[in-house]
Amino acid sequence: MTAAIEFGGVTKVYKRIFSEERVEALTDISFTVSAGEVCGFLGPNGAGKTTSIAILMGFLFPDSGAVRVLDFPPGDIRAKAQIGFLPENFAFYRFLTGPQLLSLHLRLSGRSIPDPAALIAGLLAQVNLAGYESLRIARYSRGMVQRLGIAQSLIGDPQLVVFDEPTSGLDPAGRKEVLDLVHSLKEAGKTVFLSSHILPEVEQICDRVVIINRGRLVRAGRLDEILHTGARVEIAVDQLSEEAERAALEHGAQIDRGPHGIRLLVDAARKRELIETLWAAGCDVVRLNPVKDTLEEVFLNLVGGAR
Amino acid sequence: MKIRILAWITFLALLRNRLIILFFAVFVCVLLFMMSPMLIARSMTADNPEQGQGMEIMLISAVMSLVSGFGSLLAAWSAADAVASEMKTGTILAVLARPVRRWEFLLSKYCGVLMLMAVYVLFMFAISNLLALIGGARLVNNPWVLFVYPMVRYGIYAALAIWLVTLMHPIFAFAIVMIAGVAANLVAPSSTGAAFLPPWLHSGLFYLLPSMSLLSETNFLAITSASLEQTPWTQHLTALVYGLDQSLVCLLLAAWTFRRRGLTRE
Repeated sequence: MTAAIEFGGVTKVYKRIFSEERVEALTDISFTVSAGEVCGFLGPNGAGKTTSIAILMGFLFPDSGAVRVLDFPPGDIRAKAQIGFLPENFAFYRFLTGPQLLSLHLRLSGRSIPDPAALIAGLLAQVNLAGYESLRIARYSRGMVQRLGIAQSLIGDPQLVVFDEPTSGLDPAGRKEVLDLVHSLKEAGKTVFLSSHILPEVEQICDRVVIINRGRLVRAGRLDEILHTGARVEIAVDQLSEEAERAALEHGAQIDRGPHGIRLLVDAARKRELIETLWAAGCDVVRLNPVKDTLEEVFLNLVGGAR
Repeated sequence: MKIRILAWITFLALLRNRLIILFFAVFVCVLLFMMSPMLIARSMTADNPEQGQGMEIMLISAVMSLVSGFGSLLAAWSAADAVASEMKTGTILAVLARPVRRWEFLLSKYCGVLMLMAVYVLFMFAISNLLALIGGARLVNNPWVLFVYPMVRYGIYAALAIWLVTLMHPIFAFAIVMIAGVAANLVAPSSTGAAFLPPWLHSGLFYLLPSMSLLSETNFLAITSASLEQTPWTQHLTALVYGLDQSLVCLLLAAWTFRRRGLTRE
């Protein structure tokens, strides 16, 4: 599988003119995103995500390291012709209407199609902006602007879509539509690189994640490898006597008494041992499930302590 | 194609720029205010047509200088703002994410400013003729001189402003363009305003700065056919090539400095 995005040892330092002040925004960042993958780019505020995306798009230049996008250097117009980009705070000519803006971006993308009006109408309908064709962008709400930004990023039929916080400003229904859209892009074989703070969404749609913190790469890899499926199990029991509880704690189990019953979380390697102890103490096991770490837990483990 | 589209968008954005609208409004008020002395001069010199024509030339020249000065401010500010506002608002990111080269973006901004200045020059042309008409005279000149000369002059101001705004804040860029314009007039051979400067600096500045007096259309302004000087086309060509060369150098410098400029706030 060919690489759509390659970061190799990228370092970026911000320096002030006439000052010794230096801020190392990125330090030796390396990762690869294969063509056709959906990659989540995660990190807390100030981690360097926007700087990385700016370098990827050719808006900023690294101090060292190499970046390739669709096998071209960033900023190369051959690469840009195949990229759809949604900036974090999408801004545009406020005096235009939605269709006028899309028409402008279609012409700038260089894409030649027989019926541009139908394409624009279709995209507006896809992002739920049909019916607002004559409204100037200056009068759009924050969510409408975001939807229009998503539509403009898709107008050139890109091979690589770079979304910086695509669900920002959207209501839950709008967020779901964006997730569905990313799914459909994946099914169409497009590569999607998205930065987001909403980790459950990223977990739903991404094949790969790249996590950075304070300008350094913390973790990069396929999501299924990162989430350690099967490392722990959840045992649900109907009751838990004092004796059984003591035994469970001795086995290193975590006990959770919730409204839906009693759950014990234990390492998969010790499950048989614990279940036998519970049976011996007269407890009935009603459910046994492997526990999958959530992306949020993994993220907080990796980033939370370092913040 | 891309340059044409972006130039048109730039032109539309400039027409909606509040500062430029305010600028135009103030300018029209000043022009209307200046019509009063024109009408007074006409009524006072009704018995003496020759004296009247002299006053007409003087007043029209004053108005033309004023209009020209306003035009220089407008060209420099529009050019600086056209680039800086895109960077400030972030619209440049969506545009340059498209297959548009950075120099194409700058050139489109420049063309958009020239479109605005073309409208301004046509307006200026109409005002000059209106003033002459009010004064009872008729301007005798080639319309192309009244159009092309100011356009080339404003083209220099706009190109210089675009170059400077790739390096600094637009207000500083605008101020430097204005200072350069004033300095160019002071070191012109016909001016004694900078006689205190050492000769090497005086001549150095004269060769370096764009000579606006050379590109002034008032050199060719006449009220009557009798006073119209015949200018050889070679002289026009030399003056205009000089102006275009200044613009080209500034645009090339702008493209060079913008090539590696960070587009997001660092």
